[in-house]
Amino acid sequence: MPEIINIIKGCLAGNRRDQELLYRRHASKLYGVCLQYSGNDEEARDILQEGFIKIFENLIHYKNEGSFEGWMRRIVVNTALEKFRSNHNLYRVDDIDNIPEPDADPENQDYAGLEAVDLLEIIRELPPKYRMVFNLFAIEGYSHKEISDMIGISEGTSKSNLSRARIILQKKVSIYTGLNKTVVNV
Amino acid sequence: MSNGGANIDLLFRNGLKDFEVLPPSGIWAGILPAIRKKQRPYLFLRAAAIIVVIVSVSLLAYKWSSDITISLGSQELALDNIKAPASHGRAVTRIARTGPAKHLKVAAETAGNTLPFADAALNTSENQTGVAEGKATQGDHLVPDWLFNVRKSFEQGLILDKKTSASRPGSFKDLKELPYEQVKEKTGRWSVTALVSPTYYLRPGLDNSAISQQINSSEQSRISYSGGLSFAYRISRKLSIQSGLYYSSIGNEIDGISSFSGFRGYDYTKGDHNFEVLTSNGLVYTNNSDVFLTDRTGDRVRTIYTVDVFDPSKANLSYVDNTLYQNFSYLEMPIFLRYKLVDRAIDFNVIGGLSYNLLVSNTVNAHVSGNSYAVGKTAGLNPFMVTSSLGMGMEYNLSDKISLNLEPTFRYYLNPFSMIQGPRTHPYSFGIFSGISYKF
Repeated sequence: MPEIINIIKGCLAGNRRDQELLYRRHASKLYGVCLQYSGNDEEARDILQEGFIKIFENLIHYKNEGSFEGWMRRIVVNTALEKFRSNHNLYRVDDIDNIPEPDADPENQDYAGLEAVDLLEIIRELPPKYRMVFNLFAIEGYSHKEISDMIGISEGTSKSNLSRARIILQKKVSIYTGLNKTVVNV
Repeated sequence: MSNGGANIDLLFRNGLKDFEVLPPSGIWAGILPAIRKKQRPYLFLRAAAIIVVIVSVSLLAYKWSSDITISLGSQELALDNIKAPASHGRAVTRIARTGPAKHLKVAAETAGNTLPFADAALNTSENQTGVAEGKATQGDHLVPDWLFNVRKSFEQGLILDKKTSASRPGSFKDLKELPYEQVKEKTGRWSVTALVSPTYYLRPGLDNSAISQQINSSEQSRISYSGGLSFAYRISRKLSIQSGLYYSSIGNEIDGISSFSGFRGYDYTKGDHNFEVLTSNGLVYTNNSDVFLTDRTGDRVRTIYTVDVFDPSKANLSYVDNTLYQNFSYLEMPIFLRYKLVDRAIDFNVIGGLSYNLLVSNTVNAHVSGNSYAVGKTAGLNPFMVTSSLGMGMEYNLSDKISLNLEPTFRYYLNPFSMIQGPRTHPYSFGIFSGISYKF
């Protein structure tokens, strides 16, 4: 199996075989990221396609420092972010003030049995703003300051969105598991 | 809540850490044209850059050879009975011999021609050694002052302005050029040349139909080569006719066609081929019953074994390659005319004519672990191709008989590769032939 550095060199030389090999090798993982950042499959496909075009265009700037997968993931996340910004005015944050607090204490809730596809389904049901903030903070590890710059909101709004996203997720996870189990401390 | 928030964060972070989903088919087909569109200008830029470099080198070489001719053009003058002034009685130190023989050769027609400024007998066509008394001139040839003046007079009189020199006292009105045939007596009219060239093939874009777009975006020519022996006969001083026998190999890559081996056990048809692949050079027919082909990015494969009917993964077929390689070989007989534009240290020729190409080999392969895996052949290929060629030949004479050749050549195929229905293209190619020539 060719080394990734050789595939990158082939891609830079315009070798279509290497270009396709790069795509086939990483498309599944990156499509998972796209699904996580999008509300529907069509949007995820668009993000993956645009993301890969950017990856090939910017391959010449990859310095072979750090993880290549991480570098590709950042490009795909930025593509999702751009798409989010361009659709920003179309999104409407649902009124979630009436969402009740979960019954269970989240610290003690048992999440066993939840598969990755279940988690994906839950995260995709979030309103776009909350989903974006939650993904950037909880999954990618950005700070609220960075997120506020990336999305163009205040730090306070970022924190508020994250908090609301967590509440929704908590509730949905509880509903999804159908357990609402509370582990009683003894 | 903060701990609870961290828990939910961890739940999603860990749960989605290595999450993978196979993307729907067709996404790659959308990516490929976008990145190809950006690469295509680079191909043209590369071709343009090659042409610019060749033209620049040609001009520099022309200028260089021109300078050499002007500075040393009179070295082959046969000067007899030249009397040197008394104060310059000593002979020259060293005069280097020019490289190749010049066509312009002047000799005193009448014996006893006496020039007013010279007495010593000089023959500059050969190296001479004498006592040092001189100065460096162009080309770093050490000559005495009086000889430098003689040469200058010769250059002005013979090369730059023959007419005015005839009216000057003591000039060369009685000198004349020897006939070209006499000058070239040493070399005959026949020559043989061995040439080889890497060749880059291009083809014009097909129409805008969906299938043509797929073909356009998925095919690329491989660097090909051509080489052989040619014989030339000099008809006149400037015109030659040239023919010979060349072998040329042409390659084409077709991306996005996945090939699998091990299909023989599932093949229940009696036909001579199971798969056809539409390419810009014609239809590829499989003649290996063990191969299974599928087009992952388009509709170029025609078969009854579509992915709805047969899944190679479920049948555990072995994946071979995602690219098909078309290879064609031709025996080529050129008939060229060669016209000499510049006749100096480096000769410049314009070369043009037709080549007749006979198809001798036609294969389609896939590659697996560095080995070739036979897939089939391209059907309906034109077995007899005619190409028109136009080139610029540069010839550097190492001696009277041997010369080095460099010939950038453009070729256009007058008939299409394929004779059957489908896309028909007239490719063109660019190659730089280099080789060595021997004159009999």
